[in-house]
Amino acid sequence: MKTWLTAEITTSAFHARAQRFYYGWLRLRANRLAFAGFCILVGLCVVAILAPLLAPEGSNEQSLALRLRPPSREHWFGTDELGRDIFARIVWGARITIRISCLVAVIAAPIGLAVGTAAGYFGGWVDTVLMRLNDIFLSFPGLILALGFVAALGPGIGNAVIAIALTAWPPIARLARAETLTIRASDYIAAVRIQGAGPLRIILRHIVPMCVPSVVVRITLNMAGIILTAAGLGFLGLGAQPPTPEWGAMLSTGRQNMLGAWWLAAVPGLAILLTSLAFNLFGDGLRDVLDPRSE
Amino acid sequence: MPSWIAGVAKGAASIVVTLLGLLAITFFMGRMLPIDPVISIVGEQADKATYDMVYHRLGLDKTLLTQFLLYMRDMLSGEFGEALFTGNKVSVDLARVFPATIELASFAIAIGIGVGVPLGILAAVYRGTALDHIARFVGLLGYSSPTFWLGLMGLIVFYAALGLVAGPGRIDVAYIDMFEPQTGLLLLDAAMQGEWEVFGNVFRHIVLPGSILGYASMAYISRMTRSFMLEQLGQEYIIAARVKGMSRWRVVRRHALRNILVQLVTVIALAYAFLLEGAVLTETVFAWPGFGRYLTSGLLAGDMNAVLACVLIIGLIFVGLNLLADLLYRLLDPRTR
Amino acid sequence: MRRIFGTAVAAGLLLASSAMAGTPRDALVMAWNLDALITFDPAQIAEVNGNDIIRNVCEPMVNYDLKETSKIVPSTAASWTVSDDGLTLTFKLRPDLKFPSGKKAKAQDAAWSLQRAVYLGFGNAANITEWGFTKDNVAEKITAVDDTTLLVKLDRPYPVGLLLSAMFASGTTAILDREEGTKAAKITDGKSDYGNAAFKTNPVCVGPYRVTRWQTNDVVVLERNDNYWGEKAKIRRVIIRHVPESGAERLLLEQGDIDVARLLNTDDLIALEKNPAVHIEQTVMHGYGYLSFNGLDPILGKPLVREAFRYLIDYDGLGKTILKYQGAPRASLVPEGAFGALDHAAGQPFRLDLERAKALITEAGFPNGFTKKYIVSANNISPQIAQHVQANAAKIGITLQLEQMADAQLFTRARAREFDVLQIGWGAGYPDAHSMISRHAVNPDNRVEAKLAQYPSWRSSWIDETINAKADAAKMERDPEKRIAAYHEIQQFMMHNGPMAYINQTIRTIAVRKEIKDFAITPFNVAYATAGK
Repeated sequence: MKTWLTAEITTSAFHARAQRFYYGWLRLRANRLAFAGFCILVGLCVVAILAPLLAPEGSNEQSLALRLRPPSREHWFGTDELGRDIFARIVWGARITIRISCLVAVIAAPIGLAVGTAAGYFGGWVDTVLMRLNDIFLSFPGLILALGFVAALGPGIGNAVIAIALTAWPPIARLARAETLTIRASDYIAAVRIQGAGPLRIILRHIVPMCVPSVVVRITLNMAGIILTAAGLGFLGLGAQPPTPEWGAMLSTGRQNMLGAWWLAAVPGLAILLTSLAFNLFGDGLRDVLDPRSE
Repeated sequence: MPSWIAGVAKGAASIVVTLLGLLAITFFMGRMLPIDPVISIVGEQADKATYDMVYHRLGLDKTLLTQFLLYMRDMLSGEFGEALFTGNKVSVDLARVFPATIELASFAIAIGIGVGVPLGILAAVYRGTALDHIARFVGLLGYSSPTFWLGLMGLIVFYAALGLVAGPGRIDVAYIDMFEPQTGLLLLDAAMQGEWEVFGNVFRHIVLPGSILGYASMAYISRMTRSFMLEQLGQEYIIAARVKGMSRWRVVRRHALRNILVQLVTVIALAYAFLLEGAVLTETVFAWPGFGRYLTSGLLAGDMNAVLACVLIIGLIFVGLNLLADLLYRLLDPRTR
Repeated sequence: MRRIFGTAVAAGLLLASSAMAGTPRDALVMAWNLDALITFDPAQIAEVNGNDIIRNVCEPMVNYDLKETSKIVPSTAASWTVSDDGLTLTFKLRPDLKFPSGKKAKAQDAAWSLQRAVYLGFGNAANITEWGFTKDNVAEKITAVDDTTLLVKLDRPYPVGLLLSAMFASGTTAILDREEGTKAAKITDGKSDYGNAAFKTNPVCVGPYRVTRWQTNDVVVLERNDNYWGEKAKIRRVIIRHVPESGAERLLLEQGDIDVARLLNTDDLIALEKNPAVHIEQTVMHGYGYLSFNGLDPILGKPLVREAFRYLIDYDGLGKTILKYQGAPRASLVPEGAFGALDHAAGQPFRLDLERAKALITEAGFPNGFTKKYIVSANNISPQIAQHVQANAAKIGITLQLEQMADAQLFTRARAREFDVLQIGWGAGYPDAHSMISRHAVNPDNRVEAKLAQYPSWRSSWIDETINAKADAAKMERDPEKRIAAYHEIQQFMMHNGPMAYINQTIRTIAVRKEIKDFAITPFNVAYATAGK
């Protein structure tokens, strides 16, 4: 296997791709911080998948008699204002965090790519209009825009995802445009064009694939911001609705009792911090791996 | 017509278009809000006659487009209207809340620059060493922290447990009547009037929220400084200077730093703008009577006059800074020419 | 990070030594949430906190007794007489009433103040218009005979106790300076604002304090009125600071930076119980936290289903935990302490009983439960109570989808009838059963286009003509014993058939530093003037 992966002459396109992937993996492994980030993220996914095993009682088992218990052997992270086990809520909450961040990425990346590549490739008034639109969205601070949208659409995870996605695409579009501008001028695009390929085909087949690596890096790096925005919305009561164990919302209710029961705010806050840190570390490393231009 | 005038005109036109779009989006989003602004004036128990009277007075019975045009007209004459949830003119409110935020943000940016730039330079010069890794990690940690959470934890530790700093708010009540603010920037006011006791109190209030916000911008600034610096240090002229026997620090100071200054200013300007965003949550945690809290309260009360004015101002700041960044980007990156 | 904090902490330490400890001797410092405060004009104030402050600045004509709330005592009006036909009320004002400037306050000022409240037509005007006064007749019906005599002509012979409690003890009867108000009046489109803009920040009226400074969402400063007719306030200044967080208020109180904390949650209060420097005081308010069901809903419209919800609330458990210091469990719609209320036991016959609830929904025809939306305020303990009800409902197959929102939005939805289940609060205006019954049981017109959004009964699309008639008869009953009996009957009926499930009467709890003596809190008055250091 290893010889196959490191063979000097590749035998097929798949072989070549696998090899590239393998070398990327090696580079990632070598970057200790990035690898740590990667491990945390994998761990988070495992926790999310195993939630029914780790916390079989679910996230909403209440007991007024067991309110606000500090961390102990029975309740590793203590209990909250309704006597629910915080460990269980954190575990189940991991699913929500993952769902929010994936959904936002899946919505925002294609929009950003489409707008950015179109603006960059066509130039002229298309560029002007799209970039003006982009500017309008960029000229809101993300949280404030998301806040406004959620307030208008009504609170809830679905709307929070839409609102955050609306704030997440402009930087991607900007990046894709910049990339497109450099690619557009290259010889091979000119060659494809002479062969008679239409703009749609050129964008989809030749420009988008070139932009994907940097967009992936960008999204990964933005993921931390996305998680923080989602938590911020939850913190202001506009994100996930109770009894959903969303970390930001937990932090928000925890704040009410932060002096008497520090674990209420400390634990979900740490969870948010750890996750967004992992994304940042991983994204940082990913940039080194995928984008040979940097450093 | 000289080309720079055309450039400026084009820039100005694009700003106007952006701001119009910004306002339009906010306005219509605001009218979609499922919150009835009339209720904050008449109270929840009011009857229909009272309700209708205020509804009419606010012009809510007109069509959306008419409302928007009327609003635009008022804006052009510098009239932001009345903030319903405070009962004041929005301009009066803004004059009150803005200095609080500016003071907080300036305090934070001072920390951001003071720590971030040296850290970034060190990390670049000692690239790959433990120092670099630590700086990078500390920076990433700043990126990754929910500032509102840091605020809460900071309050618990430094105010509640250790009593090292003062609590929420800008100043202790004991001092409220002791001096009359001039600029609204309390630190400056206290210093100018020689009220050092007041100054100390204000400092004890600002130090925690300021440091926490400052940490976030420090992370950003140090990271950017590092990457700019690395780019410079890789340039041939630097290598040449080194080969000629110039000391490492002399090269950094004389050449590299000077060359990244423009970029650095852009980054700092952007960091400052982001602080305004960070202030929204931090101000909530620290009961800071600033712009961010004003905006969130306005939003939650469905008060569009207040929200629109805030968004417009934030938008202006952002547009201006983005434009600057864009210009420099074009100037400096040959690939996009 | 450590570096920054290190420097900051060092700097803080340096400066700490110069800081002052405790609050100033001549000031009472209070922390509260001032978010909703938008005016000090007594004709407009529509929220609890503003009302609390204004009653120390602008006294009503009569007041509720500090010890026994349902008893009426003289205030700016020294005495009153009723004509035999019950249609004329004559008030004798105190001759020594003075505004803070030293100018005499007269019956002409009082008449003008009542009239302007009606003309301005804010929500508070209802305190007056409910008793037959209108924009067209108020100028002839409320008049000054001489400097100290105010004549009030009624359209029906209302029981005088009810009228005093509902109208003349309300803040809307505060005596404002007519001259100032007329001078400062702004005319727009031919309509005067009767000084509303000027009184917004500086209401010139009769009371132990006057407002000297108000920075929105920041601070309110009251200064002693040295020309006050009664006993002068003991503490010269009252500083009310906007601190909208319980935790922050607790810290400020513990550190001695404030004297009184007004907005504390249960767990912070429990922690403060043990603090020897602080004492906790509470009073049961005449307000409610309750569930309202939409009567147009085919499921929730059934009385049996609503009755089931009453068995899903663990009144006892909530009272001991989440509601501790926040609310007293009560299921009847008239608050304990009000005239005509059911007694403690009769007013709260329910307890958590899942089997009973299950049987009730089965009897109603929904043995497998149902799914409904449930809207609730994001503030304070509301989400906790909602999740408690939600968890219990889930046990009998009812799925409640919670949506929490800002109060402003919740009110909007409530007033527009846009809800299935609504958890919200309501404050009664005065300590008489009529206050709640006239809004929560009576519904004059249930049609959508009637838009009687000030009636929670209308919001729930609930109407019962018999109750309407009984409530009106009780309102006009001049024999107190018979009035009480009528109100008891209405309460019993509403408790099982009404559109609401009342959860708790609200409790106002404050924590006060030990140095502060005689800070009096009652359901309708919080008297700052009696407090001393």
